[in-house]
Amino acid sequence: MKQEYNFSRRFFLKTSSALGALAFIPKGVKAFYEEVKNFIVPKKEQLPLTVSINKKSYAIKADTRTTLLDLLREDLNLTGAKKGCDHGQCGACTVHIDGERALSCLTLAAMVPGKEVTTIEGLANGDKLHPMQEAFIECDGFQCGYCTPGQIMSAVACVKEGHTKSVAEIKEFMSGNLCRCGAYNGIVESIQKVAAK
Amino acid sequence: MGFFDEPFDLMTPPEGRVEGVAKVTGSGKYAAEYKVNGLCHAVLVGSTIAAGTILNINTSNAKQVAGVLGVITHLEKPVVPGMADEEKIKEARFGLPVFHTDKVYFKGQPIALVIAETLEDATYAASLVSAEYREDAKTVDFNGTLGFVSLTPAGKDRGDITALNSAAHSIEAEYNIKAEVHNPMEMHATIAEWTADDKLKLFDKNQGVNNVQRTFAKLFNIPVNHIEVISEFVGGGFGSGLRVWPHALACIMAAKLVKRPVKLMLTRPQMFYSVGYRPASWQKIKLGANADGKFIGIHHQAKNGTSVYENFNEGITRVTRLIYNFDNLKAEAATVPLNLSTPTWMRGPGDCTGDFAIESAIDELSYKLNIDPVALRMKNLALEKNPETGLPWSTNYINECIEKGAQMISWKDRKAAHSQNIEGDWNIGYGMAVGAWNAGRGNASAGIQMQKDGSITVQTAMTDIGTGTGISMQNIAHETTGISKSKIKIELGNSNLPPAPSQGGSNGLSSIGGAVVAAVNALKLKLAEHAALQNEAYKNVAAADILLSDKGISLKTANSQFFISYASLWEKNKLGILEVEASSGPGAERQKYAFCSSAAHFCKVRVNRKTGKVKIERLVTVSDGGKIISEKAAANQMSGAAVGGIGMALMEEQATDERLGTLVGNDFAGYHFPVNADAPIIEVAFINKPDPNINPQGSKGLGEVGIIGTAAAIANAIYNATGKRLRDLPITPDKVLLG
Amino acid sequence: MRPFLFSKSSAINQALAKKNGTTQYIAGGTNLVDLMKKHIAEPESLVDITSALPAKIEVTAKGIQIGAMVRNTPLANDAIILAKYPLIAKAVLAGASPQIRNMASTGGNLLQRTRCPYFYDVTTPCNKRKAGSGCSAIPGENRMSAIVGYSDQCIAVHPSDLCVALAALDASVKVQDKSGKTQSIAFTDFHRLPGTTPERDNNLPANALIHSIEINENAFAKNCAYVKVRDRDSYAFALVSVAAALNLKDNQIVEARLASGGVAHKPWRWLEAEQYLKGKTANAATFEAAADIAIKDLRAQSHNGFKIPMLKGAIETALQQCLNR
Repeated sequence: MKQEYNFSRRFFLKTSSALGALAFIPKGVKAFYEEVKNFIVPKKEQLPLTVSINKKSYAIKADTRTTLLDLLREDLNLTGAKKGCDHGQCGACTVHIDGERALSCLTLAAMVPGKEVTTIEGLANGDKLHPMQEAFIECDGFQCGYCTPGQIMSAVACVKEGHTKSVAEIKEFMSGNLCRCGAYNGIVESIQKVAAK
Repeated sequence: MGFFDEPFDLMTPPEGRVEGVAKVTGSGKYAAEYKVNGLCHAVLVGSTIAAGTILNINTSNAKQVAGVLGVITHLEKPVVPGMADEEKIKEARFGLPVFHTDKVYFKGQPIALVIAETLEDATYAASLVSAEYREDAKTVDFNGTLGFVSLTPAGKDRGDITALNSAAHSIEAEYNIKAEVHNPMEMHATIAEWTADDKLKLFDKNQGVNNVQRTFAKLFNIPVNHIEVISEFVGGGFGSGLRVWPHALACIMAAKLVKRPVKLMLTRPQMFYSVGYRPASWQKIKLGANADGKFIGIHHQAKNGTSVYENFNEGITRVTRLIYNFDNLKAEAATVPLNLSTPTWMRGPGDCTGDFAIESAIDELSYKLNIDPVALRMKNLALEKNPETGLPWSTNYINECIEKGAQMISWKDRKAAHSQNIEGDWNIGYGMAVGAWNAGRGNASAGIQMQKDGSITVQTAMTDIGTGTGISMQNIAHETTGISKSKIKIELGNSNLPPAPSQGGSNGLSSIGGAVVAAVNALKLKLAEHAALQNEAYKNVAAADILLSDKGISLKTANSQFFISYASLWEKNKLGILEVEASSGPGAERQKYAFCSSAAHFCKVRVNRKTGKVKIERLVTVSDGGKIISEKAAANQMSGAAVGGIGMALMEEQATDERLGTLVGNDFAGYHFPVNADAPIIEVAFINKPDPNINPQGSKGLGEVGIIGTAAAIANAIYNATGKRLRDLPITPDKVLLG
Repeated sequence: MRPFLFSKSSAINQALAKKNGTTQYIAGGTNLVDLMKKHIAEPESLVDITSALPAKIEVTAKGIQIGAMVRNTPLANDAIILAKYPLIAKAVLAGASPQIRNMASTGGNLLQRTRCPYFYDVTTPCNKRKAGSGCSAIPGENRMSAIVGYSDQCIAVHPSDLCVALAALDASVKVQDKSGKTQSIAFTDFHRLPGTTPERDNNLPANALIHSIEINENAFAKNCAYVKVRDRDSYAFALVSVAAALNLKDNQIVEARLASGGVAHKPWRWLEAEQYLKGKTANAATFEAAADIAIKDLRAQSHNGFKIPMLKGAIETALQQCLNR
């Protein structure tokens, strides 16, 4: 694990000249930026919204661009839903919308009024943890914990949907929630435990 | 700010990690999640070319966006004293001199930072920043460029590898591994707040708060203790948080510019070129054995990619010197500069890469020799001493790992010849490999605060990146004090707490465990000091003779009549909160012994002949990590590492485009790591024998050995199933099909 | 995202009245929000049509009609779909993740855009994203690209799984325009080949919205399969996928359907292979011969030659799986 630092310009020049034969300049890149000039900056639009989160109603004014995830995390200090990719590729932002698991990063806040959103903060019953939360602790269904709220919201839905007939079925129906720590053993075990109840 | 300061104090959660409730309720705060008054948002703008010079940056459109508070570029920026000139930049050893150069070294290099009231405003405004460049020649093609770079010796030769020429059987082969990216689920993020002109508060994602503190103290020329770094919850690291990266500096600069706290969270695509990665590598192995399978020697050559502005050597050949007895050994290495960001240590750095080649070659040799791969390894393991230093191993149970693993997977069911086990379109095969890691330990400090009711809080600056540092500290404190776990709180991940090394290289628990034991001893002595005022028997007693419980203090040697309750001790001595702090680190044992952790991995695969699909049916990993302090957390580490190994073996690959000088598919749709369905239930076991010399608790690090060897075990199983020897990772279905 | 106006329509004609060059419609949002974040879609006005479109699966005289707003999960779980058109459910469940399937609409599934990495990277040339800027995939990283029906302008593939099944079942797309008129477009004519206009993915008329999908009754419910080969076991786009359906009488093939994803700019039908299968005995040899016919004229890109043997294997596997039901 040796890390050397070499910062001289000479090093850089030497490197680049050795590779000189490989030069290529893409045309499209410049063309792309031509368009940016003479640009009129559009104004942001804000909407008054009433949203219901964890059975609590919030009257807010939101940018039309704001996603449910950013609304939760940046505006309402409900940081349980996590941002792991912001593009619907990891499941860390999973919440329930009208009881079904959904990705809050691909949901515009403007489309949430009239629906009931449940986040990890709304899962426990007061001080009493949800059985799935208890199972995740018992089965050590996490390491770093960052994907965990999304895993748990998804796991609760997975049980409710009845996709727990086999390890393979649980794994398939939990594959929308990436865990880089690889705590899949404990996640599956937690779900089996709750499903058996 | 401890893990327990959550609104769930009244209930009794199931037994688990100290931070378990905070994690399952979402109440634990990761770097970007703290509520800070006046917070605004910053978004980085990356270069659109891979090499050249910035001629002009157009920030005027961005500045027109309502809500924009400022834009930083190399032309307009707040002063960073430690980067005032080229000399200082060199001294700073910070890596990329972000916003302090007009040079572009890789595509995506930050060239501007937009700060705005809201994330939406900042993100949109950042998209309106553009630049003109003069482009230089570039390359991002590792395999196309590695031929231009010559190998140099990596360490001393052992014996003479010309002995390989007389080997009865030998293997000579090349191995290529694509770049892999850590991609912890939490994207790196920083909240920076200047609480005074020379005082900085950071909520930051990293693996070592003291490292962050030192780095910025130097760059901003302020005392270390003027910088507070808070990293209580870290959403994974895998090595990406061991360095301090440009985005954190950018965020601090932004806070200086707008005189407000600023939050910066990298986007997932930015994560691929902002916080390091495991570089692409090439290796060549020549390995020979005599007719009965005794290794004669090895020639290991390796090259890895690096950036054009820093030289990162992954240390691929290091593991070659560790596991087996090679009387003759030659290792050579080189780094290949590319127009990519600088790579860094990623889980099992170097060893994971080198081990894949060695363990693949040994497997290949076993078929030539017609010796079972398990037997071949057992014959050649360096079980007595470290073959490089000659020091005897303090403990090394790699042979027991192999034996146990073979039994668990039922190795006897493996067919000795390949392609013999077929079910319909599926070929079934078994493979195995081993891994080892130099077991380290660093100097660390821990503090304990004790209350009158006998409850204690154990503290350290060390971060818990998910490895279970917190629960392990609690277990050690419980074992050594006798105080119930429910009365032991853990506080960590904060630079105001006693300093500790970064959480990395499988050194975390090995280092902090000793510090906790030292702090417990200090606590015992301090309590005895007070107790001596009530009872002379406590005068000058050794820590080892002192017993603690939930209720009070007593002496091991005497009977219970000497018991003094904490309540009376506190009352008599008018105590408030009793505080101790102690440090601990490696010592003379390092001159007497060599230390390693090790693991054996066994795999059963199914390979579809028609589609090339590989399905891991079983994966068994058995490791020697000394004494296991927290069994669930340790098993979780090992199974998680195995999942990482599946990724390395079958899917992880950062693609590049040489013509455009760009990464391709740098998001989770383009860069695959295993989902739940890709992994079987990983079967984990431990040897669980304490190492009596490494540290007081006898534990050796585990995080790395879990992944070292996994990829080779899988590739070897694919060979056993199909007869296809695949030496390039990842082994995606196309490679299986065409192999 | 670029700032935009937001409104909601509760009826399809109301939504259509808002249609112009700078308006876009949002249903599930699983692709559009992503594209907006990437500045690939930059509508000035966004219209929420989740309450404007039909959201039911209805039995019709000829077969079945699936409302454009039927989301993927209820589609895959629907009793009629499972009983009479199980290929649809199999394809849906092979795609995306449970969360995305809960959100994504049927209409949106048809309109989702390619996953070619260059299309998503606005710093690179891409004819589909910006007409005339060039194709980066042809000389670049084209492992995931097309092996049939592509042009020298674009080699992107359509990412949908559902659409492969719909193509195989000869579905049709019912669209409604501003004047209230509806028309039916054969599914295989709905998506386009790139030709010289790769920026256009489909033939949805400029002034229309997708109303529903219609599928005629068929005899494929008993013997059908969807096989998807991908780099990981779930939550990944196809390297190649195959929808296969057989109408069997005893062991003789009365009619066969064979379509693929991951191979072309649109869901691709293997008509010649289907023709070959007709009247043959359903066995491994027949299936292999059909697969050989399907792959005979394919031309791979520089980095995806593997797709041809993989497709062959996937076709054989899918046809074989049709018998295992």
